[in-house]
Amino acid sequence: MATNGNDNCNANDSVWQFRGNGATSDAAAVTLRKLVFGMFKNCNFNNGKTILPSTTHSFKTCPEAEEAVAAAVRSGMANSYAPSPGIFNARRAVADYLNGELPTKLRPEDVYITGGCNQAIEIVLDSLAGNPAGNILLPNPGYPHYDARAIYSGVEVRKYDLLPERDFEIDLDALEAAADKNTVALVLINPNNPCGNVYTYDHLKKVAEMAKKLGIVVISDEVYDKVVYGDRPFVPMGTFASIAPVITLGSISKGWVVPGWRIGWMAMNDSNRILKNTGVVESIEDCLDLTPQPSFLLQEALPEILEKTPKEYFAKKNKAMKRNVELSFERLRDIPCLFCPKKPESCSYLWLRLDTSVLANIENDLDFCTKLVTEESLVLVPGVALGAKNWVRISIGTEESELAETFDRLKSFYSRHAISKETIKSHVDTVNQIVVAVV
Amino acid sequence: MGETRGGKRWNFGANEVVELSCSQNVRYFLNLLADNLDRSDSRPVIPLGHGDPSPFPSYRTDPSAVEAVCDALRSAQFNHYSTTSGLPIARKAVAEYLSRGLTYQICPNDVHLTAGCHHAIDVLMSTLAVPGANILLPRPSYPMYDSRAAFSQLEIRRYDLLPENGWEVDLDAVEALADEKTAAILVINPCNPCGNVFSRQHLQKIAETASKLGVLVIADEVYKDITFGETPFVSMAEFADIVPVMLLGSISKRWCVPGWRFGWMATLDPHNIMKDSGLVHSLANVLNMSTDPTTFIQGAIPDILEKTKEEFFSSVLETLRECSESCYEEIKKIPCITCPYKPEASMFTMVKLELSVLEDIKDDLEFCCKLAKEESLIILPGRSVGLKNWLRITFAVEPELLKDGLSRLNKFAQRHSKKKQQP
Repeated sequence: MATNGNDNCNANDSVWQFRGNGATSDAAAVTLRKLVFGMFKNCNFNNGKTILPSTTHSFKTCPEAEEAVAAAVRSGMANSYAPSPGIFNARRAVADYLNGELPTKLRPEDVYITGGCNQAIEIVLDSLAGNPAGNILLPNPGYPHYDARAIYSGVEVRKYDLLPERDFEIDLDALEAAADKNTVALVLINPNNPCGNVYTYDHLKKVAEMAKKLGIVVISDEVYDKVVYGDRPFVPMGTFASIAPVITLGSISKGWVVPGWRIGWMAMNDSNRILKNTGVVESIEDCLDLTPQPSFLLQEALPEILEKTPKEYFAKKNKAMKRNVELSFERLRDIPCLFCPKKPESCSYLWLRLDTSVLANIENDLDFCTKLVTEESLVLVPGVALGAKNWVRISIGTEESELAETFDRLKSFYSRHAISKETIKSHVDTVNQIVVAVV
Repeated sequence: MGETRGGKRWNFGANEVVELSCSQNVRYFLNLLADNLDRSDSRPVIPLGHGDPSPFPSYRTDPSAVEAVCDALRSAQFNHYSTTSGLPIARKAVAEYLSRGLTYQICPNDVHLTAGCHHAIDVLMSTLAVPGANILLPRPSYPMYDSRAAFSQLEIRRYDLLPENGWEVDLDAVEALADEKTAAILVINPCNPCGNVFSRQHLQKIAETASKLGVLVIADEVYKDITFGETPFVSMAEFADIVPVMLLGSISKRWCVPGWRFGWMATLDPHNIMKDSGLVHSLANVLNMSTDPTTFIQGAIPDILEKTKEEFFSSVLETLRECSESCYEEIKKIPCITCPYKPEASMFTMVKLELSVLEDIKDDLEFCCKLAKEESLIILPGRSVGLKNWLRITFAVEPELLKDGLSRLNKFAQRHSKKKQQP
């Protein structure tokens, strides 16, 4: 770990001995939050445009969830410290919520409540970081909080690819090649952020079998379990717990559109008691003792939120999301520099390949996004932040009016930066010549 | 690494650093004592070992705070992710709140919001944990600091609080313990577990000593305003000109809402010492990677801090004053226990065990385990906060319940006292 700052810091005639922990820089540098908020700072506030995405036009939560929390606040029964693993009713409610079709049911004591899914990631990685040379397999593209927390806990990060040509399935050969005897776990994000696909039963079973072969835990990040609007059903990884141990992570942040509430969970799908016998469960419980607890208010409200939200709420929201996907695809026809190889069937993003060859003076995705922010006050996430250069992630979980505005600005940006027609024409001619030559 | 029956090798296992950090903190002891309770005792268990009176009616939070939270929730304006150090309106409100009574205004940018003071401790320890660094913690202490420092592999060095001096800091010991790798000294004022308030002069001496040693002061003021004795509370913020101060606090104690998980750390650094050293930058990095306080609580904070009526606070303080006096008076009647300093703040008092007058009890742990078993009374053994053969008594409960508890303590003490020898 390096140190930050000067070695000899003098002020008030004292030599000040404290420093910042340099390890934090490496880890924080990869957080999405740092990057995105950094980009917001580049926005030109004088161009009269509101910064997009905004929070005002995003999808709303349901009244049942608000009522549940208001009731918890008013009851006066949720003002105390909660026990570290979470209150019993919350644990039981999450177990019931997850159990659905699972062959081996979770008990309340297999579930731990956390301050959002992000905190669950933190705890799982800290718990597994016991082995000095340990490494973890993360997907590419992925969710950078895993990278940040792994770096910070001293766990080596190794990446495996998701294959665009195969609906973003996991490259299982690459996974196996990347693993060694020090690999402790693989992280799987399903439904997938950023690609928007949902994995099939058969593919997930293969992943479980690979995990067993390699002797590793599957950490299944299912935070988008409620945001599924395509034909493929969501299959929880816990289904395969008899093959390899699965730690399921989730929260209400995405399904209920309340990321600010900060309540999530970890569930041990451990039918063969492997996580128990290897001491991982104990480490997790100890970590929970050391880390900040999630709010009692949210825990108290959680059973009602999970049990009383009508199915229609999700159906309506998912229908709107699906419509947004269709609208986006229509608009993308006018923006040739962006291409989506697979229509998302889940989550709230478009994952698009960026073609810089039709743009003048745009080097790569970071350049594209930085210029876009400055010129149009529109913040997209450059793929490099998620591990994939020359891709772009657009958030589409908003009202239609904001979505339309997003594409208006993109189109405007594209028009301004598109390579001139003459250049395009000669490019097309060259391509035609090549095609003719081949034929 | 773990192996299971059947010879299958699994590559993952427990994290020893976590296990070592965790052993022997307050929760560990509370669980141990709970295990000793006699289930067949029909009397209710009296809990004088916790730090959370919120379940008791006299400590119910202010209804206007509840309404502020409900309003923020209903507005649907606060469901999104928080920004790293918290929402600007909440940071501003906390900055103004902390600046009351100070000669200067704390800048909102120097206020970082956390999910309770525990989270602030978590973030702070991570930030300070440079290889080889050590930190000065008090004895007795609030053990979360110890566990968390150990987990971050910060070396812990302990200075004593002196019971014969009203629990003041042993400044000579502080000077002797510090070396060039000491990063910070923790000062908890008002004091948990001792229940005292440091005088202005003493705080100034601490600040001057820290400055001389080149260390920053972590001022844990979570019990700020929970004072009911003679000594007025003075914030370490007043001495930020002398030494850089990391000020920690929360709404948990004053509003009796630890379950709401809202606290803060303020970097009081007029000479930019913490900034130039890179500490503030690291702090921001750690905050970026960690959880946040619930956004609708943040949204309610301006109203909570500004609109809660004085009557609510004085009512809670009155209950605490009554309880602290009653506790102190009852303890005087118990021969095997002495209280060196009448509590004037927080929710606790430290009392010494005179083991020589007790039959068949060899230490504080045995005392507390037997007490739980025989009297269904929970009191924390002093070793959990760093002082073996002392006890930490929580008096923040309903006054009647406290009297009942102390009477059970008295009976227990009498039962276990050595009988006088007949001449």
